[in-house]
Amino acid sequence: MGPLSRDAWAQRLGAFRASPSAFMAGPEGEDLGRDLLGDLRSEKLSEQTKVSLLALSMEYPAQMWPDASAAEVAATSLLDTLVLLPPRPSALRRPLLLAATTALAAGGALGPTSGASCRLLPLLLGLAAGSDLGRGFVPASEQRPLQATACECLRELESCKPGLLGGSLGLLRGLLGQEGPVQPLSLLLALALRNTLVLQSRVGAGLGGLLTDKVSPTGGGPWDWTLVEEGDGRLQPQAPSWPAAEEGEGEHSLTAREHSPEEARELRAAVIQLLDTSYLLTPVAQAQLLWLLGWALRGLQGQPPALFKPQLVRLLGTAQLTLLHAVLALKAAFGEALFTAQDEALLLRRLTLAAQHPALPPPTHLFYLHCVLSFPENWPLGPEGEEAAPLLLGPQLCRGLLPSLLHDPMALLARLHLLCLLCAEEEEEEKGQLPSPRHYLEELLAGLRQRAALDGGPRALATLCFQASYLVACCLAGQPTVLTPLIHGLAQLYQARPMLAPHFVDLLDQVDSELREPLKVVLRQVVVSRPGKDEALCWHLQMLAKVADGDAQSATLNFLQAAAAHCTNWDLQQGLLWVCRALLRAGVRGGLVDLLQVLARQLEDPDGRDHARLYYILLAHLAAPKLGVALGPSLAAPALASSLVAENQGFVAALMVQEAPALVRLSMGSHRVKGPLPVLKLQPEALEPIYSLELRFRVEGQLYAPLEAVHVPCLCPGRPARPLLLPLQPRCPAPARLDVHALYTTSTGLTCHAHLPPLFVNFADLFLPFPQPPEGAGLGFFEELWDSCLPEGAESRVWCPLGPQGLEGLVSRHLEPFVVVAQPPTSYCVAIHLPPDSKLLLRLEAALADGVPVALRTDDWAVLPLAGDYLRGLAAAV
Amino acid sequence: MAQRAVWLISHEPGTPLCGTVRFSRRYPTVEKRARVFNGASYVPVPEDGPFLKALLFELRLLDDDKDFVESRDSCSRINKTSIYGLLIGGEELWPVVAFLKNDMIYACVPLVEQTLSPRPPLISVSGVSQGFEFLFGIQDFLYSGQKNDSELNTKLSQLPELLLQACPFGTLLDANLQNSLDNTNFASVTQPQKQPAWKTGMYKGKPQVSISITEKVKSMQYDKQGIADTWQVVGTVTCKCDLEGIMPNVTISLSLPTNGSPLQDILVHPCVTSLDSAILTSSSIDAMDDSAFSGPYKFPFTPPSESFNLCYYTSQVPVPPILGFYQMKEEEVQLRITINLKLHESVKNNFEFCEAHIPFYNRGPITHLEYKTSFGQLEVFREKSLLIWIIGQKFPKSMEISLSGTVTFGAKSHEKQPFDPICTGETAYLKLHFRILDYTLTGCYADQHSVQVFASGKPKISAHRKLISSDYYIWNSKAPAPVTYGSLLL
Repeated sequence: MGPLSRDAWAQRLGAFRASPSAFMAGPEGEDLGRDLLGDLRSEKLSEQTKVSLLALSMEYPAQMWPDASAAEVAATSLLDTLVLLPPRPSALRRPLLLAATTALAAGGALGPTSGASCRLLPLLLGLAAGSDLGRGFVPASEQRPLQATACECLRELESCKPGLLGGSLGLLRGLLGQEGPVQPLSLLLALALRNTLVLQSRVGAGLGGLLTDKVSPTGGGPWDWTLVEEGDGRLQPQAPSWPAAEEGEGEHSLTAREHSPEEARELRAAVIQLLDTSYLLTPVAQAQLLWLLGWALRGLQGQPPALFKPQLVRLLGTAQLTLLHAVLALKAAFGEALFTAQDEALLLRRLTLAAQHPALPPPTHLFYLHCVLSFPENWPLGPEGEEAAPLLLGPQLCRGLLPSLLHDPMALLARLHLLCLLCAEEEEEEKGQLPSPRHYLEELLAGLRQRAALDGGPRALATLCFQASYLVACCLAGQPTVLTPLIHGLAQLYQARPMLAPHFVDLLDQVDSELREPLKVVLRQVVVSRPGKDEALCWHLQMLAKVADGDAQSATLNFLQAAAAHCTNWDLQQGLLWVCRALLRAGVRGGLVDLLQVLARQLEDPDGRDHARLYYILLAHLAAPKLGVALGPSLAAPALASSLVAENQGFVAALMVQEAPALVRLSMGSHRVKGPLPVLKLQPEALEPIYSLELRFRVEGQLYAPLEAVHVPCLCPGRPARPLLLPLQPRCPAPARLDVHALYTTSTGLTCHAHLPPLFVNFADLFLPFPQPPEGAGLGFFEELWDSCLPEGAESRVWCPLGPQGLEGLVSRHLEPFVVVAQPPTSYCVAIHLPPDSKLLLRLEAALADGVPVALRTDDWAVLPLAGDYLRGLAAAV
Repeated sequence: MAQRAVWLISHEPGTPLCGTVRFSRRYPTVEKRARVFNGASYVPVPEDGPFLKALLFELRLLDDDKDFVESRDSCSRINKTSIYGLLIGGEELWPVVAFLKNDMIYACVPLVEQTLSPRPPLISVSGVSQGFEFLFGIQDFLYSGQKNDSELNTKLSQLPELLLQACPFGTLLDANLQNSLDNTNFASVTQPQKQPAWKTGMYKGKPQVSISITEKVKSMQYDKQGIADTWQVVGTVTCKCDLEGIMPNVTISLSLPTNGSPLQDILVHPCVTSLDSAILTSSSIDAMDDSAFSGPYKFPFTPPSESFNLCYYTSQVPVPPILGFYQMKEEEVQLRITINLKLHESVKNNFEFCEAHIPFYNRGPITHLEYKTSFGQLEVFREKSLLIWIIGQKFPKSMEISLSGTVTFGAKSHEKQPFDPICTGETAYLKLHFRILDYTLTGCYADQHSVQVFASGKPKISAHRKLISSDYYIWNSKAPAPVTYGSLLL
């Protein structure tokens, strides 16, 4: 495809910008990066169009060249385009440098092995140094702007790979001292110096001659990949978070290494050089320089913070946001070492002044107010990280910063916060001199409520009033002199404008019980004292559903009874039922039964009647705790589902059995051999307290008769439980698998159902002894049994390997209860009854060291393989 | 200290989206750093569409606020600075610096060089103040001298190229975008060394220095027991220095006459090289006394090329220039109003214009008016429910004028008369608009002879002064009025 026209590109760029992801997913997405690089060399496109292409590549390199290798190719192509430019002034050189830098840095291709990096870096450094790159590469008129651009590119690369320019410090310093452009070189040097200091201190090295050497000591060029490696690719924050810096004696602290006197002198000279010319920088660049140098020198021995002092007076006079912010950063970095108590007071005064100066815009005021409340004090008292009034900020200083109704919402809330902080401290202040802040606060809140109460007023006014009330409740909890009028004021507001009910419900949800409980009582009184017939009935019902509880039942029920007659539409009926539901949850029973019965008969809407009946049935049939759970917030329903769905799902959760992960574990104990049936001994163990546990067992393949369920009243983790006995009724003597289900109630009242891991009944678990023959008659009894097996039964001989325990040990461990005749240690006769009516007879005789031959007989063919497996496995069984 | 992205969004109420992204710029190298610094708490900068929607919602600029929406209206969602967290796709993008001015929303996302959870305090994020300066810079550029939409569009179209100069990689180099524009135009001029970065090009021509002092006076007058009237003067000194040389030094002194009111709360331009400590400490926060520093106020500086605000100050003059009272009473179907204005004898009685605007909020259109005035004419804007009393250039010899009358209103229609939350019932105000040329209320002036210029050639020095009213309210004394804490300090 040939180069696109200007218009085609404009259209394409427009489509891309509208939604980059959609464009890249479309048919043209794949080619965009390639076309863009190609068309940069087209002679048909104007420079202006090419600049717009480059601008796009600077914004979206990750979309066009998504991986490092693509970024490398793109950067190479951009550099080629740059080299191929004819030696006349062109608007493309700067953007090409910026675009190549962006592609490498953003694409993650920057590194010692990247060809494009190895071309770009010397080019940038050469341009920054103002050296002659030959062949009219840079037309004279462009030299100066390109020098500055090259510095910016280097600075960005250094930001992304800290330490990269560690070897160029001397060179940059030299340039700054000569004719180089002040701002780009100052910022570049400051950043490289800061990064080098941090990295060197981390590895315990000094600056060495870095600040004086014009040529890199490493010899590999002025950029220092080794230092980058030492930095571990970790980026360096320009100012570590302040509180973190307070703690940080490790990570960010630069005290790790002292510099030699000579190094310290050179460092000081470099810093002074930077600060002395800082006045020539734009205010925002000055601010960057101060942040960088301040945090670089923090805690560095031999570098007195007083170096910054000459700048401070000049800076304190301005209202430039970045400059004052930078002064605050210096304050946070050095504290008392740079700011005496008087300086601190002056800074705070300037800040307070800036927070209200009529010549500054409102966003600036608000940020300064935040700075006042987060002021880095020399000797902070309060907890770190919370907004608080600094000690020096007395009521006098705050006078102009207090809120009034004329402020916009954000300013009002910010200033209200300050007022609350003042009120919180008022106790100790002497009274009488100024109007009491608390009194003023009360008036202000009253004014806000008055505005919120205005009919037809925008919601924002109401929101503001509730935000203010919330803020006051948070800051001044525990101050009844503030909370009492607030509560009564809010009650009046509700009376005046019940449609604010959702705001009240939200406020009740957000505040602590200190305001919530008394406010609930007052609001309930307001609502129930109204006649049930009211235009605002739907709001009253919404409100009551929030505030109704077990108290003042009769008044609430009277109100509802009166209201029921006016609940003519579905909405109101649902509102009414919602209150009933809240009362049910609160455990109200008496009068509610009557009300629900009436509602179940009278409500016009069938859905409403059904609900009332349901509530009535629930009330009549469920115990209070279960009812509470059934009506509690639904666990299953998402928050956004309609209330009805939520309610139904809540019931489902509470009243139906829920599939749940198993909260109980069963383990098999040793089996018991007395009695007519084999009995499994199970040991239950609970992970959480569970109640009314019922364990159900199902035998696979119907090998045994159905098993009875086992019941356990209560299981608690950590409390040993009695073992459970499970009698088996085999229909044939075979091992089996038991499926186990558990049904239980959780402590929250939910009934759950869980699948437990299956239990395995082994062949040996079915063994029962024959009745013991009289003393001395054992052998005869055994022989009789032995003979009775044939001819219907089966006979076999099995080699039973013996472990170190020998035959005696094996028998006593596994066969003891079934031994009829014993001649230890060499000969045993064993008779096993296998329910329902099989027998297994063993003769273990003439044991050798490693095994014993076993003669066995049984009257049941099917038992033979099982017996063989059993005997062969005995030695291995522990 | 860098920005991840910046946006300009025009607020267009009534349209489906309520706004359009007019300009946006992303900084991918900064974004890459954000990903590393923020770690697990990193939230990427969204595309323009989702950003627009989330920002307008957060700023309450979507038209729909009929219903309570918890994520917007909950009382615990309190914002005390112009810095927001935007919910986008279930994640919260923070911090977003944003403000609305002249129907344009300015927004940017500063880089935070650490994890965002827990959120670091704003004061510790260097990019926040830079973000503000960036946005203020764009705002100044767009609206300086701009008069209509096509000029605005031209300026918006210049922005991409300007930001290549002023903010190529997301780290702001100069908030003064006009400088960058001039720099582009001056590109062929080789700049000498040690030229300040904030100064573009070099002036060639006749040396001249122009100084103009503009004072705005604002006031809240209640005419009530227990509530003090308040007034304040805010001064701005603007300079334009056309001088040859790289760094000419200039010192301007502001002087006060013997009975002048001391200047306070002085904020200076960053080009001012040093400040007397008396200037730094004179503040309206302190109680006034006779020992207050009363000048001359010296400002040594190296001027930038363009016109700039050398300093701002406030001052507490002993009396307001015009003292008035306003009484309004509801009498059955009509309002009875009485207004009295008195010009203080010390004030220059020569106005460029002087008017009293008497609005009636939350009422219908004016249907009937009867009035009597001792001076000037009354204009009636019936549909706007507004009276404008045109006082003219001079107060009469008595210095005192009055207006009284009755006004009747028609039925209120919600579309035409917007709701005002303050002026409800009988709470009402009148607002004075006036301008006096060649005059300052404090008496402050720049003495031409005291201007020192260290540059070749003797410059021509011109000085101008004017006084303008701003937020000059006189409240109805017969009804409650909003007060500030300061009004309660009697």
